[in-house]
Amino acid sequence: MSAVVAEFRRNRLSLSYVIVVALLILLVVAGGFLSDRFLTWRNFGNLFQQLVVLGMVSLGQTFVVLLGGIDLAVGSLVSASTVFIAHFLEWRPDLLWLALPLALVAATAIGALNGLLTIVLRVHPLIVTLGMSSIIFGGTLMYNKEPGGSVPRGLADFSYAKLWGTPVTAIVLVAIFALAGLWLQRSRSGRSIYFVGGDREAARLNGLPVNRIVVMAYALSGLCAGLAAIFLTARTGVGDPRIGAALTLQSITPVVVGGTVLAGGRGGVLGTLLGVLLVTMLNNLLNFLNVSSYYQWVIQGLIIIIAVSIHTTKRRQ
Amino acid sequence: MVTPVIELSRIEKEYPGVKPLDRVDFAVRPGEIHALLGENGAGKSTLIRVMGGAIKPNGGSMTYLGKPVSWQSPKQARAAGIHVIHQELALFPELSVAENILVDAQPRNGLGLISGRARHARAAEILAQLGVRISTHAKIDELPLADQQMVEIAKALVGEVRLLVLDEPTAVISGHEVDLLFDNMRRLKREGVGIVYVSHRLEEIFEIADRVTILKDGQVAGTGPVGDLTREEMITKMVGRRLEQIYPARRKAPAGGPDILKVSNLRAGHRVRDVSITVKPGEVVGIAGMVGSGRTEVAEIIFGTRALDGGTIEFEGRPLDQRRPREAIRNGVGFLTENRKDEGLFLGLPISANVMAPDLAGVTRRGLIDRRGERDIALEQIRNFAVAAPSPEVKVGNLSGGNQQKVLFGRWSRIARKLLILDEPTRGVDIGAKVEIYRIVRNLAEQGVGILMISSELPEIIGLSDRIFVMSQGHVAGEIDGASATEEAIMDLAVRSIDRREGKAARLEQVA
Repeated sequence: MSAVVAEFRRNRLSLSYVIVVALLILLVVAGGFLSDRFLTWRNFGNLFQQLVVLGMVSLGQTFVVLLGGIDLAVGSLVSASTVFIAHFLEWRPDLLWLALPLALVAATAIGALNGLLTIVLRVHPLIVTLGMSSIIFGGTLMYNKEPGGSVPRGLADFSYAKLWGTPVTAIVLVAIFALAGLWLQRSRSGRSIYFVGGDREAARLNGLPVNRIVVMAYALSGLCAGLAAIFLTARTGVGDPRIGAALTLQSITPVVVGGTVLAGGRGGVLGTLLGVLLVTMLNNLLNFLNVSSYYQWVIQGLIIIIAVSIHTTKRRQ
Repeated sequence: MVTPVIELSRIEKEYPGVKPLDRVDFAVRPGEIHALLGENGAGKSTLIRVMGGAIKPNGGSMTYLGKPVSWQSPKQARAAGIHVIHQELALFPELSVAENILVDAQPRNGLGLISGRARHARAAEILAQLGVRISTHAKIDELPLADQQMVEIAKALVGEVRLLVLDEPTAVISGHEVDLLFDNMRRLKREGVGIVYVSHRLEEIFEIADRVTILKDGQVAGTGPVGDLTREEMITKMVGRRLEQIYPARRKAPAGGPDILKVSNLRAGHRVRDVSITVKPGEVVGIAGMVGSGRTEVAEIIFGTRALDGGTIEFEGRPLDQRRPREAIRNGVGFLTENRKDEGLFLGLPISANVMAPDLAGVTRRGLIDRRGERDIALEQIRNFAVAAPSPEVKVGNLSGGNQQKVLFGRWSRIARKLLILDEPTRGVDIGAKVEIYRIVRNLAEQGVGILMISSELPEIIGLSDRIFVMSQGHVAGEIDGASATEEAIMDLAVRSIDRREGKAARLEQVA
């Protein structure tokens, strides 16, 4: 937590955060006026529960975008992981301790493979991960066409557990973000992501192990997708080969809204966390107001374009 | 008295807080090459942009061919015959020479479609006027920089040109390419074109220019025929104070002891054919030669960013085996690359991160980067190298070229305890910063660091080096003692083998 605070303090003048925070405040105030159910402890508990999966995937996406890349395989990877977890646990509910680490290792390995392929084949990450996404999706469907499997009580309980009225999953998410923030700012490998994303050639000339850092960032994105899948399976109780499809593009929104630049080298996880909060809260409020999901899409699109254009204008000054 | 092509009087330009141009008078006569001198930030580029219609002045007046004008756009100025060639060329690398030359004036056929044949014919005609032989079908990125520049000049000749403005055209070319450029400038001059020539290289000004105007802090510090001013007077006017000495004193005695770096019979591709060089601790070794003679490649091989085909590199008597930047850095070798924006700095990151990039381990305590330690080191380097920046948190992209270069010195001087390789360390840096950089280089040498410095500026090579290797077409053409070196002796070695092969090989190498 201290790292997040430190990052926030250092960036407190950075307009990127100011914009997102201002939008958040606006949203909370507007929500309070427009709906009497919005500003309630109960709703915020639900809201935090909802944002955990998107938050996790977006965190992984942040590492890759900071590096100047993009990961379009996260959605399929989440789906595949939920299918794996739910079916494994249906077969042996007692092996929870094995199933979850196994899922995480596999997701991390697939992420690492993405990074490795961008290096070895010298193909743009957009293409590599798009291809990988398709491969994973098809591979999953070969075994399971419909949602299936089940999870033991313990895992399901975890997803609804509360501590001081706050969902435990949300606390875990914030803790992971804090850790990620500390790692990015204060560790050699984390800092190296900014170097490689800022200028790959310069990073090489400064003696940084560029290839290793690239593979690491994609591996972390895979790991985050695996963690998201655990949260998701715990909540839904099934493995669904299509459940993550929309997550791929959704995961990019909070990253860029939070001020991380698609070209790499600038941004951070705090922005992403605020971005996730903004997007989730917006959809939550629109649901209360009975706005059709068609409009929700339109509004979310507008938010992306407006937020990023404000970041860009600010940077140009 | 002939009517000037362009005459600016009491031109002012003001932005909030800065005044890049303050009552500037400037005139260019037809058939005159008028050099524009000044430090970075003196107002040269603003003045050029006023003439070219890219910005409108806040005050003063401008006449063009005797008539008062006030450009509304660069397009208007261009239509009137003013062509500005910027340092960053405005060419389309993927398109052909002909398409680039006629970018604004694609010839149409009877159906209103662009005619490829007419385009190549017209482009070839213009290139012939310039006396250069470049295929109109070649793609821009296949051409050496010098030829790309000629294409840019050819663009100016499509319409009528009365005033040609060249912004530091020789920063990226050298040797016979500069001669070719100057030949063409002289030809245009004979045709009555007025030429404004911006350069940091004073020697060139004496060679090519008729008159000179010196800007200092947005004001004209002096103007007149080139012959009326000495080199020293020009520098004094530019920096606003007398520079007692541009180059610091050389070593008194030749460096002794074992070589810190010994490169023997290095070969790599067709650019590096046979290079043997030695550097001793505490000496400045210069590498002179044309662009494309293999100088930069040798530096890259030593640092480990380029593979070699043969030869040996010994560092402190031991052969280097892994040859990666990481190993070089670990051994105490630093490398300031030629192109600091593309290959050295992280422009979006603060000074502190840029200084510490190759040495994160040096500020890591128990797995975490020690922010205060990092900041302290950055502050110390900012002070040591007199970087003009308010704090270590300033993004490097916001600094001037000279200050960016000093940040790089701040970074590499910590790493390079043994050997520092410098590739064009003063390119694009103004004279005041240059003098500081020379002092820094000599100081590092006095602390026992071996310096290997590549430069295209002969006065700099001669003024600073203890020993000089002259390269030509991938070979070391000769070694000269720094104290007794002359420009003629260096040029003689640098062009000797090119004459033999009519320069063909060197030009091909640049294409590759």
